Amino acid sequence: MNVIFAVLFSGAALIFLFRDPEGFLPAMLAGGEKAAVLSLSLLASYCVWLGFFEVLKATGLADKLAARLYPAARRLFRTNDRAALSLACQNIAANLLGLPGAPTPLGIAATKKFLETGQDFAAEMLFVLNATSLQLLPATAIALRAAAGSASPADIVLPTLLASLVSTVLGAALLFLFRRRT
Amino acid sequence: MTALLLPALFLALFLFALARRVKLYDCFTKGVKGAVPLVLSLFPYLAAVLILSELFEQSGLSAFLTQALSPVFSFLGIPPEIGKLVLLKPFSGSGSTALLTELLAEFGADSYIGRCACVAFGSSETVFFISAVYFAGSKKNLAKPIVISLAANFFSLILGCFLCRIL
Repeated sequence: MNVIFAVLFSGAALIFLFRDPEGFLPAMLAGGEKAAVLSLSLLASYCVWLGFFEVLKATGLADKLAARLYPAARRLFRTNDRAALSLACQNIAANLLGLPGAPTPLGIAATKKFLETGQDFAAEMLFVLNATSLQLLPATAIALRAAAGSASPADIVLPTLLASLVSTVLGAALLFLFRRRT
Repeated sequence: MTALLLPALFLALFLFALARRVKLYDCFTKGVKGAVPLVLSLFPYLAAVLILSELFEQSGLSAFLTQALSPVFSFLGIPPEIGKLVLLKPFSGSGSTALLTELLAEFGADSYIGRCACVAFGSSETVFFISAVYFAGSKKNLAKPIVISLAANFFSLILGCFLCRIL
């Protein structure tokens, strides 16, 4: 992240310097403003989902779901940390269902637990699964196509699902591959 | 159909919780208590990524890269018109949503370009955004998982555009 930030930031700043020096600060401020607005909308969605997950935890359903998935999850994440695996499984379930805003707090909590106990591989695996998209139904894309007057908005579901499945499997496989080499 | 999912999900959970004698109000508020500290801990990373993505786009760097990469995209069967979306998606969800809306308006939702854009949008995720948020505050070197995620998403994009042609 440090390298990417340094390279892209300097590259963009250099272009501004020569082509549009007055546009530099407004562009940075626009980014800051987006961060402020996004934080508020994240806060709104965490209000909903953190409350929901606390209720889910209190009913014991979260642990039951995790217990079902535990054998498979243990192999995928290469760890026996039950509490963190339960969060990771809920994160995956929320991703698959496409609940907007729900996976993030679960993913953050699971990653924190994994990293605290030195389970770096598990944290990386969870990140790769999230970063290669797990959503079963591309709801946003379908809605935008419908809004743009598509004759059949849902006919991108199959290619999207296949592409997203391949990227997730490929990502997880690559992570396993490069684990063995190092 | 999907609109029913959320109300049904909440209703089912809350009724089940009541049957289990969970104190709903106390429990819900206890969960929400974590929301503000969570957002505060994410804020610096959100700000850095979003300022970066704004600079990336407004400086013309993303347009320049799109131009430079368009022969590569064409060679791999990806319409160059969606190149900008492919470059922006890893940084910003809201930015790429706006861009997808523009692309659909310009080329039509049922065009090949429009369909490819939707697959590119739906089959990948905001890699840098997720890495910033999930690993907020950690000193871990994330080069390997980030490169793997970007590579997997890019490969699936090539596949997705191919599928759009035959399906």
